Order: sequence, then structure tokens, then C-alpha cells
Amino acid sequence: MNRALPEMLHCLSGPGNGTDITVLERQRTRVKWQHQEQQNYFGVFLEPSQAGQVGNFQDLVGDGRCGSVLRHVVTHSVKPDPGLENGWPELGRYELPDLGFGSAVLMNGSAAGFEMNSTITRTSSCPHTEAQVAPEAKGKVSEPAEKMSSTVGRESYKKRKADKVQNTKVVAEDDAKDKRSKVCAEEGESKITTEQTRTKNTTTHPNNRETSADTSRENSKASEVQKPDYIHVRARRGQATDSHSLAERVRREKISERMKYLQDLVPGCNKVTGKAGMLDEIINYVQSLQRQVEFLSMKLATVNPRLDFNIEDLFAKEIFPACSANFPTIGSSSEMTNPAYLQINPAQQMVACCGLEMGVNTPDLMALRRTISAPVSLPETYFDASCFTQLQPPSTWDADLQNLFNLDSNQGRSISFPSQPFTGSIEASNLKMET
Amino acid sequence: MASSISETNFEESKRIKRRKTGDELRDPDTIDHTRWRSESEQRIYSTKLVEAIRQVRRNSSPENKVSSGRDIRDAADGVLAVAAKGRTRWSRAILASRLRLRLAHNNMKHKKARVAKVTGSIRSKMPEKKRSIPALQRKAKVLSRLVPGCRKVSFPNLLEETTDYISALEMQVRAMAALTELLTGSPVDRLTSTSDS
Repeated sequence: MNRALPEMLHCLSGPGNGTDITVLERQRTRVKWQHQEQQNYFGVFLEPSQAGQVGNFQDLVGDGRCGSVLRHVVTHSVKPDPGLENGWPELGRYELPDLGFGSAVLMNGSAAGFEMNSTITRTSSCPHTEAQVAPEAKGKVSEPAEKMSSTVGRESYKKRKADKVQNTKVVAEDDAKDKRSKVCAEEGESKITTEQTRTKNTTTHPNNRETSADTSRENSKASEVQKPDYIHVRARRGQATDSHSLAERVRREKISERMKYLQDLVPGCNKVTGKAGMLDEIINYVQSLQRQVEFLSMKLATVNPRLDFNIEDLFAKEIFPACSANFPTIGSSSEMTNPAYLQINPAQQMVACCGLEMGVNTPDLMALRRTISAPVSLPETYFDASCFTQLQPPSTWDADLQNLFNLDSNQGRSISFPSQPFTGSIEASNLKMET
Repeated sequence: MASSISETNFEESKRIKRRKTGDELRDPDTIDHTRWRSESEQRIYSTKLVEAIRQVRRNSSPENKVSSGRDIRDAADGVLAVAAKGRTRWSRAILASRLRLRLAHNNMKHKKARVAKVTGSIRSKMPEKKRSIPALQRKAKVLSRLVPGCRKVSFPNLLEETTDYISALEMQVRAMAALTELLTGSPVDRLTSTSDS
């Protein structure tokens, strides 16, 4: 068996059309190999839970039309039929009822991947003795399955040919109901034939696969649209299984997932439910953000004369690790804290570190900054964009600032700032200022 | 078995490369969310923004005395798009439009290049027929107009682009507000997003 596996892989990679297919093949062979070894166990496994599983499949299928075929298929516990399905053979077998009957159209999903995994676990968990094989296969299969679904999903927009996929895709895309029964019969037939071929010999797998593929290709004479990429979806229990509804469901899930992200992002979106309301909120939010950007850019435009000689100094000091290093300078330069903050070195340092922390956007330092600037700049309107108005009350600032720092030095730790609430960091920085 | 393993690695590497280039269906925004929130990103953006503004100053000073807000805004958007590293559609659209503008500007030597943008929007408003377009699609269209470069994008991708765009815009606002506060010395009263537009 071990020898057979790489051989199979080599043979499979020949006809395979690319990474996807080879991964599929690999997956297929691995699980199939596992199947061969567990053939007996499968039968055992299937019998007791057959009712449950078949019932499940019948639900999935949605009608009992091909129920007999299903049961037939299931009871045989036969090897996977790679020619028929698009590469998840074992799963494909259980999935085939869906696929063959036009249910699982291949659309993307993470849903698909997870469903895939659940089925894989179902299949691989059955044999108890193969405990080591099962998790290994499961792990290997689930990973490629997820990757597969995601890559296939990703490539669904690219044109990639997939030989083996085309059959089921072609089959699945037949949404004409009259074709469905025919397809059902065909799938059933081809399955049975391949089952028989499988049971015959275990060593000539590649040949079998190819022959079965040929037969299946001949059998399914649906339209030869070679739509390349498929996203694999599995219908959940109790849900409609025709290709359109599956596709719709996947699309809806994608959209709802993205809307959830947006809901977290946009404030106030939690109250509104429904896509329309949320879209409204989102549109408003984007508009408001864009307006803010415009407003700020206008502000920056008017402020700009300072940029040239200030920025270099300011941003050269952005390397300061902590603001605490700069705060001692504030006390010393209290008399120099002029509105042209930026022109004086110590003030620059203070503003630089404040600005730095601003850039870092820590709320503590914002509060700190406000405490420094608030008593200093009493009416906010003075500071609206025009730099010249800042020169207006220098004396008051100096006095206030000096008061602040005198308070600091005199009173020790208990300091009451006039306006802003006292945060822990402010106290800490004040302590530093004292020392 | 070794051959299969090597095959696996090779296939996986090929797949991974393809995944990176084919960017349409990404993993849902796990990276993007945190990307724009990180402080380092904001710092990078701030420095680049300053450089860009300086350049705008330098470029515009010979022509007109004061650089308009629009120039600054375009510069800011451009820097934001650069910071996005071209992974998103809107960033690529911004960069492309700027390139086109610059080319047109260089070729025609006057600012008529901007008209192209305007006519585009006017053209879309011209047919004033009241069609019974479902509200959702109408809103999706509006949103697609807001996010640059996302007019013909499918709805789920549009949502993804919007997510990234919103995060990037938030970072842009934060950085610009910080810069403005730095320069003007006054805390900027940020407009809070309200439901009424």
C-alpha cells in the first residue's frame, strides 16, 4: 500500500492539470488508501449508522428520488469514484448525492471547507484501529480541503481548467429539472459501475480511475461548458440543495460576514439591523470621515507656513522613547512656552513629545496635553487654524503655566488642575517634573 | 512517500504564490483590521504625510501663494494609498488617478486634467430616470462611488474594500488631527460620526 500511494500520485499528477488537481488527487488517494484498508470497517460503520447517514443524505438530496441509489451506494462502501466527482472522493461519495443531483454547485466557501472537514471526520473517525491513520489523514485532508476550498475559491475568477471537475460541474450546473433525474440515474449507474470496477482490483487504480472517468464523462452528457473553477459547498441539513440556492447561500454568507466586520468598524451600526440600514450607516460614516479629512487638510493648509522650519526639529525628536524624559524641560521653560511653541527648543521638545504621544494617541497623554494647554488657551476659538491668534494671550499662559508648575513644586503630590480630570499618568509626570 | 511530500511542498508553495497575486478573494480582513490600527503604521503615515505636505508647499509656492486644502487632501490621500502598499483596490485607484493626473498635467500644462474626474461624476448623475432600483443596490452604488476605484466591484468585494478604506480613513484622520494639533497647538474637535448626514 505504501508503495502504491506514490505511484498513484505520480500517475495522477500526470493527467492532473495543476496544483489544485494534484492536491485533490493526493487527498483522494490518501483517503482512498485509507478506505481500502478500512473497507471492512466501513461496511461495519455504515451499517449501523446507515440509517442516519442515508437519512441525512436524503434530506440533503431533498427528495427520495434517488434514495434507492443512495442506499445502494452507501451499502457498498466502495472506493471513491474520482472520475465522477471533482476530487473529494470519499466525501465526494457522500457528497455525490448532492453533486450528482445538482445540489452542490461549487461555490466557495469556508463553509465548504468546514463541511468538508466534518465529512472527513465522519469518514475517518470510523475505524478505531486506524487511529493513527485517521487523524493523520484527517489533518492532511482537512488542511488541503480548506486550502483547496480557499484556493479554488480564489481561483474561481481565474480561468483554470479542471478536467475531473468539469464533469460534476457540468452535471451540477444542470438546473433543468428534467435533466436531474437523468443525471441521477447516470450518476447512480456510473457509480455502481465504478464501484464494481473498484472492488475488482486494488492495484490498478490509475487505470480504473481513468476508465471510470471516461465512462463518467461519456455518461454525463450535459452541456460541455468547461467552467473551470469551483468552490465546493456542501448543503447543510434541512436546506435546499439545488445549485442556485447553494450559490445564493454562499454568496449571502460572504456578504453577511463582511457586513459583520463593517458593523464592528462603524460605530452605531449595532443598533440598526438589516443590510439597508447598515449600508446607510456605513455611507454616512465614510462621508463623515472624508469630510473630516477635508477639514483637517484645510486646517493644515492654513497652518502650513510653520511646517517648513518646524517639522524637521519636531520629527527628528520622534525618536524619544518616553515622554518623561522631556517633561523636566517643561518646568524650566515655563516662561518660554509661547504660542509659537514650535520655535523654541524646550517648547519644541514638549510639543514634540506631546505630538509624538499624540501620534501614538494615548489617551493619558492627550489628557495631559489638554491640561497643559487648556488653562493656557482659555477660549478655544483663538486657536482656530490661524497661527497669529496664538500670540494673543502670552502673559496669561505664562502665568498659568507657572502657576501649574509652582503648584507642582510647592505642594507636592496633591495637585488640582482647574479643568481636566486628573489621570494617573499626569500625576506621574508631575512627580517627574518635581524631581 | 518522500516524493509525495516534496510534491506537497512544491504545490503548496506554488499555491501560496498564486494566492498572493490573485487577490480577489482574500481571507476576510483579519490582517487589514489591525494593520491600520497599529501605531507604527500611523507614525509611518505621519512622517510620510509631512514630507508630502512639504513637497506640496514647495511645488505650489512658485505658482500660488497658499496651497489649497484640496492639494493637501490629495497629498494625504496619496500618502495613504502608498501606505496601503497597493493591496487594496481603492489604494491602487488613488495612485492610478494621481499618476494619470500628473501625466495629464505634464502633457497639457494646465489643470484641465481634473475635469475628467468631474465629468465622470456628472455623467453618472445625468440620467435622471426614476427607476425602481432596489434600495440596497442603490445604496451599494452610492457606497461604490464613495470608495475610490470601486465602481464596478461586486458587492461582497465592495464591502471588503469599504472595511479597509474605513480603517485607513480613520488612521488618516487620527494622523492628520495629531499633526494639526501639533502645529496649531490646539486640540482639534473631531467630528463625531452621527447618523444624520
